[in-house]
Amino acid sequence: MECVVGLNVIGSKEKVRNCIDACGTPLLTSSVTSTVDITMMIPLLILTLVSLLCSSLAFDLKGRVVWNEICPGIGDLGQAKVVLDNGNLYGSVTRNGQFVIPEVPSGTYILSVVAHDHAFERLRIDVLDTDTLPEVRPYVPGTPLSPPSPVTLPYPITLIPRARYDYYTPQESFNLVGMFQNPMMLLMLGTGVLMLAMPYIMKNMDPEVLQEFKERQAKITDIQSSIQNGDLKTGLSAMMGGEEKTSPAPAPKPQASAARNRGKNKRR
Amino acid sequence: MLTIVRFLWASFAIWTAYALHPSEAGVVDWHKALLGVPLTRPDFHRTTGAHGATRSVVLTATSNNVIGAVHPENGTVAWRYLFEDRDPVVGYKAYNDRLATLSGPGGATFRILDVNSGHLLHELHLHSADSGRLFEPVNLGVAIAFDDSDKSKDTFVLTNGHTLRRINGKSGDIVWGWTSPDQTSLVVYSKVVTTSDAIYLIGLAKSFASYTVHVSAISPDNGELLSDADVPSSIINGPQGLIVVSHEGTRGKSVRLAWLEQARIHSVALTPQLKDKPTIKKGSAYLQVHDIGLQEKGLFVATKEDGSGRVIRFSEDGALKVFWEFADSSPKYTESTYAGGLDKDGWPYIARVYWSHVFRQASAHVLAPHLAEGKGLVTGFTFPFETQKHGIIANVAVDAANPEEFRVLSRLVLTTTTGAVQLWQQDQHQWTREESLADIRVAEMVELPEPQLVASQVGIEETESFGARLRRQLADAQDFPQYAINFAKRFATGSYASASSSIAPASNDTSPLSRDTFGFRKIIVAATSHGKVFGIDSANGEIIWSRVFGLGWAAEVGGRIFPLKIFTTRTVSDGDTPQVVIVGQRKADNSLVDTVAFHIDALTGEDVSGTSIGQDILQGQDVIAGALVEAYLFQDGPTKYVVLLDEYLQVHLFPDTPENADSFHKVAPSIHLPLRTGTAGSHRLGGHKVSPEKEFTGRHIAYPIWTASLPPNEDVRSIVTRPHEPVASLGKVLGNRTTLYKYLNPGVVVVLTSTSTPSGPATSCGVYVIDGTKGTILYHANLPAAGGVCDVKAAFTENWLVYHYYDDGSANADQAKSYRMVSLEFYEGSGVDDKTSSSDLSAYSNDTTRISVYEQSYVFPRGISTITTTSTKFGITVKDILVAGNNHQVQSFPRRFLDPRRPNRKPTAEEQEEWLIQYDPLLPDDPKRVLSHRYQVARIRKIITSPALLESTSLVFGYGVDLFFTRVAPSKTFDVLNENFNKAQLVLTVAGLALAIVITKPMVRRKRLRERWYAS
Repeated sequence: MECVVGLNVIGSKEKVRNCIDACGTPLLTSSVTSTVDITMMIPLLILTLVSLLCSSLAFDLKGRVVWNEICPGIGDLGQAKVVLDNGNLYGSVTRNGQFVIPEVPSGTYILSVVAHDHAFERLRIDVLDTDTLPEVRPYVPGTPLSPPSPVTLPYPITLIPRARYDYYTPQESFNLVGMFQNPMMLLMLGTGVLMLAMPYIMKNMDPEVLQEFKERQAKITDIQSSIQNGDLKTGLSAMMGGEEKTSPAPAPKPQASAARNRGKNKRR
Repeated sequence: MLTIVRFLWASFAIWTAYALHPSEAGVVDWHKALLGVPLTRPDFHRTTGAHGATRSVVLTATSNNVIGAVHPENGTVAWRYLFEDRDPVVGYKAYNDRLATLSGPGGATFRILDVNSGHLLHELHLHSADSGRLFEPVNLGVAIAFDDSDKSKDTFVLTNGHTLRRINGKSGDIVWGWTSPDQTSLVVYSKVVTTSDAIYLIGLAKSFASYTVHVSAISPDNGELLSDADVPSSIINGPQGLIVVSHEGTRGKSVRLAWLEQARIHSVALTPQLKDKPTIKKGSAYLQVHDIGLQEKGLFVATKEDGSGRVIRFSEDGALKVFWEFADSSPKYTESTYAGGLDKDGWPYIARVYWSHVFRQASAHVLAPHLAEGKGLVTGFTFPFETQKHGIIANVAVDAANPEEFRVLSRLVLTTTTGAVQLWQQDQHQWTREESLADIRVAEMVELPEPQLVASQVGIEETESFGARLRRQLADAQDFPQYAINFAKRFATGSYASASSSIAPASNDTSPLSRDTFGFRKIIVAATSHGKVFGIDSANGEIIWSRVFGLGWAAEVGGRIFPLKIFTTRTVSDGDTPQVVIVGQRKADNSLVDTVAFHIDALTGEDVSGTSIGQDILQGQDVIAGALVEAYLFQDGPTKYVVLLDEYLQVHLFPDTPENADSFHKVAPSIHLPLRTGTAGSHRLGGHKVSPEKEFTGRHIAYPIWTASLPPNEDVRSIVTRPHEPVASLGKVLGNRTTLYKYLNPGVVVVLTSTSTPSGPATSCGVYVIDGTKGTILYHANLPAAGGVCDVKAAFTENWLVYHYYDDGSANADQAKSYRMVSLEFYEGSGVDDKTSSSDLSAYSNDTTRISVYEQSYVFPRGISTITTTSTKFGITVKDILVAGNNHQVQSFPRRFLDPRRPNRKPTAEEQEEWLIQYDPLLPDDPKRVLSHRYQVARIRKIITSPALLESTSLVFGYGVDLFFTRVAPSKTFDVLNENFNKAQLVLTVAGLALAIVITKPMVRRKRLRERWYAS
């Protein structure tokens, strides 16, 4: 029980008042006016009596929001509050960033900041039954509470604005240069140019080179079609065997290719 | 090529998040920041800046538990401070640049705000809420006084009726505290007055049959009691009649306490020793004394029995003297309202405002006591206050200036019984704030008719002669070149109606209300609990019309109307102007409760039933002489009517025409109604059927057929029904080409319950899905009641239920504390391809309970105040979940993340085909999906959604303290051209291609010819 006034670390007077107010018994309220006297004089017996009457600890959780370049002041933050769990216990953030969550009973809480435009980290707060200061730990939403994180943060609590919410997506505007910088676009342009230029290149090519090129192309188409048909073996053998076939009989090919070429031209 | 790229872009874009572009903010949406209806008299507060410039604000505390400041120049909100619901404002006072507030029971929390910016400077918790004493009225037993003797900015705060504290103005700490030694006695203090010698606490002690004034003087330095005295007195009507006037004289501040006793003003001087004896002011008999806010200037008003008011001044010599009499009161006028104000130099002014029944105008008299060589100068004027639009003047605040001698300019702030706040500068109306919109009870979006095209010569073709026709057609044709040019221009560069452009009409537009191309413009009919109904343009939030509810017979005794339901009984598609019916409960001041229906034309606010005269008060029709249990809208072909059930479960129809009665008689045997009945704390759920024949009372009656078998201590909190919306697909085709058929039993309802120990807090909460026709429980979940309160929010559409609650981790020690959102889907039968046609199934079939449920729970980032789903015209578009968060934002959560079928492992190819993503307990909190973006949309109580003409888009209207409207497209606007669609580019590309063909065609021809010639 926390009404052991003399041992209290922060604001013993305040704590007595809290305790007394929480219990609200006339016996205790008469002593409100002279708290100093109580701390000196009231015997331990009465304190134990107090602890029996006032069974829950009331601890004022203190801390502050540190202004930084993300959130330079209260004007930026707006009306914000620091809440424990689902907001039954809360304290408002004042202009100098400070907040007090009054009368927190012992227990484990998740502390979060309810602000309109800013993101804050969440903390796990353990308010203890004993006289020690509450334990502050980082907390990741969605993780179990036990075991607690081994990292502890200092008390009073310091909260740092982590990010400012960005609600908007920039307008995608049409940009001609941007469009042509797109790799897909470049690829397509390249293919287009090649397609248009192909007949001229072919025309200016050395017949032998041309033939070689044609063969290679035919082979590639062969392999492609065989892969497409799922016939990997034929594709592979075509890759292997293709070379052997081409070397012995180079002579009759030109005609056929010429014929094919002619046919192509005709179709055009 | 381009089209391929476009297609690729488009396909990427569909799966990127929908978000607002900066240019769309404020164009597709609007936000109206409100404060709420002022509870007390607003105050003009003037502060002096660094360079001697003064600025003033109008301060007010409202019924929405907000303290706010309004700029008097234009009526916009300067700032506002929102108090929590369990922390009600009980008192506030402004002094120089700071505003002190007390809130919570007995004044548990003390805050100091900056009066110009509303920033919180200090917050101090004075006592726990449990130990706060509750008084009636709430502002009894609390008071604030500033230390004006020096520059310490210290504040003296009286709380709980017996504790006084001095609070340091710089650090916000308590300097000293004093508690009345005998709180058990019946002394309750209610006023604090500061002087440099002593702080006076003035209270009343209950004695036999009346109250006695009790005064305590306390040292301002250390809080010690200087003296304590009972003043011989007997006061009957509470502490409102206590007036403390002070006067800053040459010998310091002198204070006098005055009260009314047996029609005479008694008064006593307050000194630290409290030795003075009360004196009685001789002369006329008074009925009432009014505190007009000028007590520190030594002025107050007392009204005589004949209604005339006298200004009484605490003069230099320490006596109370009548300074002025506002005569001229007669039954032709209403009772006058008095208010005091100060000008720039601190001179006091007193205004008297009344309404004249004869001239149908309001009149104001402003008295400047210091003018005319100290004799007082009165300036009078009348102003055209519209009583049929704004009700009766409730409170007045005055601010005045004295630009030259014998000339007083004043501005008045009026608050009215319908919740309007108006500023009048002399007789000129400056602005009106309709603050009752912060208390909307029901609202509905009503479709507007199409714009009417002028077709003047239709039907005269047959009769007109050839010459006349030729002339007419030539006349019509002379515009043709213009049209052709316009057409070409439009074709080349033309802009089309865009889904993200503004639909607000131009400010000088006088054309009748009509919808826009995509049906984004609707009229929002909103009924408030302050007796007013509004028609709001959804394009820009402007009020198009407003009507005041009439009280019917209760007008003589007074009463209030609380709107409960709103129904659109005729829409534009029915061929005429749309109509709505508002069903409300009228609570007369003599405690009689009736159910009233108002039938209004949604476009103009005119009374459809024709009982009201012109633009006067809107008269309703008493439907039930008693309370309403439930009301439904019934549709039978084109006719729609409202069915109401009274406490005896008798059926009433509105409008009660023979056709509607016949129609209802036909459908009556097939009606099943799940109803929540019973008293507070023990509501039960029962299924009812309607008797096929009328009973001897001449009415159909609903009789119970089943009762939900819930434990006796389980209270039914609310019933969530599915909205009436089209369902586009009856099933869901999975990746492996099997189908899950949606469970669409029309009778299914969601029931939210709370279980509590007798008269204790709730121990657990329940969510049930119940077949409303026979009471079968299809799904049940037990949820923890965090803090002893059940605060489960649920949204239900098609076969999808989403509910939100706070898990305090009490069920499992390992479990995290967090807000949860549970998503559920109901499918027919035991699995895939098991079809039971649940939507058409007989209620008595066993197949109605053969369902399979998919369920997944997610960690939700924050608490919410309401939840709903989007709704579209045909229901094809994916439905998003819309929530109003506790951080004053309206945010959408996509269905994809809430899908209960998200796999707990890496999704397979088939699942990927369905766009399922791996389960992650944490729902992403994406600021890009905050619909309200930078707007602080305070305390949204309810969000309503309505379809637009575009299938992709849903209209969203949220109301609470603020109003917020926007439109959302959960699957992007797939049915209109993209915003970025560049028509010029398309035209250029097509033109370019055409040009290329023209150029290459002869080339190709030549080439072919050559090939033929030279072919081998």
